[in-house]
Amino acid sequence: MSTAQATILADLTEMIHAVLGEFAADTEITMDTTFRDELGMESIDVVALAGRLQSRYGNSVNFAHFVAKLDLENVRELRVGQLVEHIERSLAEPDAQPAGVVGQ
Amino acid sequence: MVRANGISVHVQRLDPPPGVDAATVADPDGVDTAAGATPDGGAPTVVLIHGVASDSLASWYFTLAEPLSRVGLRVVMYDLRGHGRTDRPGSGYALDDFVDDLTALLTELDVTGPLYLVGNSFGGTVAFGYAARHPGRVAGITALESAPPIPAWMTRVARRLGRAAGFLPRAGALAEIAARHGEGAIRRARDTGDLLSSTTVARELPASRLPTTEELAAITVPVLCVYGGRSAVVELVPAVRELFPQARTVVLPDQKHSVLIDQPDVIRQLVLTWLGADCGLRLAHPAPTP
Repeated sequence: MSTAQATILADLTEMIHAVLGEFAADTEITMDTTFRDELGMESIDVVALAGRLQSRYGNSVNFAHFVAKLDLENVRELRVGQLVEHIERSLAEPDAQPAGVVGQ
Repeated sequence: MVRANGISVHVQRLDPPPGVDAATVADPDGVDTAAGATPDGGAPTVVLIHGVASDSLASWYFTLAEPLSRVGLRVVMYDLRGHGRTDRPGSGYALDDFVDDLTALLTELDVTGPLYLVGNSFGGTVAFGYAARHPGRVAGITALESAPPIPAWMTRVARRLGRAAGFLPRAGALAEIAARHGEGAIRRARDTGDLLSSTTVARELPASRLPTTEELAAITVPVLCVYGGRSAVVELVPAVRELFPQARTVVLPDQKHSVLIDQPDVIRQLVLTWLGADCGLRLAHPAPTP
């Protein structure tokens, strides 16, 4: 894992804890952690996480386009590491991913 | 979160990505409505409304929202009161309350351009309820596995809510759900149980004041109704056709009430075709998927 990935994972861990509150307080989060099976995240939790990602990283990380390629089942099988890698890629080439996401 | 009608509403918006032109409404005279004519740029907005109990805006976020933004539409999704991450007041769950929430939300978000409502199950009913109370404001309605607020449909909604309210508190109910739908379904079931036991929704919603037949029949804009052939809701098709002779009704064989989640690609194609053909929207060419 690169330094950049470690930083993103730490950020993401904080956001996941904020979204899940008491549900994940004791859960260790690694690159291999799955959002559904291990964190018990419902799809609405994933959407809430998307809102936080947008606030944290701005429009360069376009979660809506990232998940558009996955169907609902795949979103639940998503690993934390996949999201970390997506964020790292997006931040590396900020203009490559057109945005348009407004979270509230 | 957006403050609307006295509650905090969880909203997600997707705007067309940069480089994608806003969709325009084809004028009968052949002149498209110019962008910039209204405060929100005149870009058509689609509001996606989810169903009641065990549903949230996530059902749209992962199916229709992104594809609609890609053809130049502004997309608004929100969690209904009591659902998802929106506030859950103890009471205020009649149809009019849901319509008032939507009205206030559109004001808060300053949505003034052409407005299309797309609702799933009870979300479709909210769409028709809104159109009945705001004549002329809505440019088109899509309802999936749904019906306008008429007694025949509200009775079904009531029965379903009543069944869930009776079943979920029972010992072993959550274990049964886990066995059928997996462990992941437990939290959602528990949340639905909490909605039904801590609020008046199961009593208030069935007792809602309904629009009159005349108010509903005054909705003459394009309507698309999609049903699953294996869902009991399909029995309402004749009533829908009688109220809305202009409605395009599509029955997808072998599909159930969960057709949006089970067949998102089919639903997306139906809605996009309807927006172009029936609503006269000139959609932007979809940007290539990154």
